[in-house]
Amino acid sequence: MSRCKMVEFFYALVPLRHWRGLLIRRHIENCPCCLAGLASREAVGSLLVQETDANIGRFLWTEVESALVADPGREMMKSRAVQSSVLRRWGWATATAFLIVLVTGFLLVKGFRPGGASPTAAVPARFELEYVRVGGQPANTVIYQPQGSDMIIVWAGTNK
Amino acid sequence: MDEQELIAGCLRGNMEDFRMIVEQYTAPAMALAMNVLGNRDDAEDACQELFIQVYRNLGSYDPTRSFKNWVYTILYRRCLDCLKRRRQSAELVKKMGRETVLATPANPGHSHPPRRLPSDLLERLKAKERTALCLWANEGYTAQEIGEVLRCSDSTARVYLFQARKKIKKLLEQGHVSLQNG
Repeated sequence: MSRCKMVEFFYALVPLRHWRGLLIRRHIENCPCCLAGLASREAVGSLLVQETDANIGRFLWTEVESALVADPGREMMKSRAVQSSVLRRWGWATATAFLIVLVTGFLLVKGFRPGGASPTAAVPARFELEYVRVGGQPANTVIYQPQGSDMIIVWAGTNK
Repeated sequence: MDEQELIAGCLRGNMEDFRMIVEQYTAPAMALAMNVLGNRDDAEDACQELFIQVYRNLGSYDPTRSFKNWVYTILYRRCLDCLKRRRQSAELVKKMGRETVLATPANPGHSHPPRRLPSDLLERLKAKERTALCLWANEGYTAQEIGEVLRCSDSTARVYLFQARKKIKKLLEQGHVSLQNG
């Protein structure tokens, strides 16, 4: 009973629907004491209009049909399902193409950035040495580049 | 015939299939509309608008969801529109200084015999609460299903239902006069 009072207090205190929904789900719906303070399904049902009471006075279908037949949008509706699926497919195709263009563009732009590696840098530059001197004298020079590597080793030695 | 087959038939333009859907849903839709709107004429108009809208928008119906809930969602929106129109008309009449006759439940020229309509007691509830209450009591809907129809969370639907049931209980205990009519 004291718990019910506490729940009632917190329900009134915090007017947030999620909080109130939580209190109802956790406590009120499972508490016979709290449920006694709510109208039962039978009591509510006796106050409401039931399906059996809702006999429609006029023939609704005739009116609906005449409204639809007179409506030029009817023919459009027939192909709407097909149209919507086609449009959906085209939508996906356009979105995918746009994404591809966007990603490609981004990668290209990134490649051309001053800080990044330029596309020409990807092509190995021709390495040339006009001459190598050691102690003012022409030196024996060996240039070595390991296979598959950008590293170039220049080994120079004197002729002594 | 299966409901999904009827829907597929409607999408192919078969009016006979749509007629079967209309006949199947007329009574429950009328009951809900009458409970929300409180009068038969408005409920019939709302139902007519409902079925026209259902037919026009059938292409956008998601077959993975409940068709009944989808129909009820449209009906609920139509009822809200109707209540809004009624409120605007009442305000207009009030401005014109006339006596407000729009709140009168039945059209005087209506030839139908009087039927049981929602009492004043139900009119003390908000439209959302009446809808939640009707779906719960007449259709046996859970809070989750009510939330689907009202397009709100389970918690919110639970709160609407709780508040409605509490109000009804309180008024029943007070021996509200409308119960004599209800």
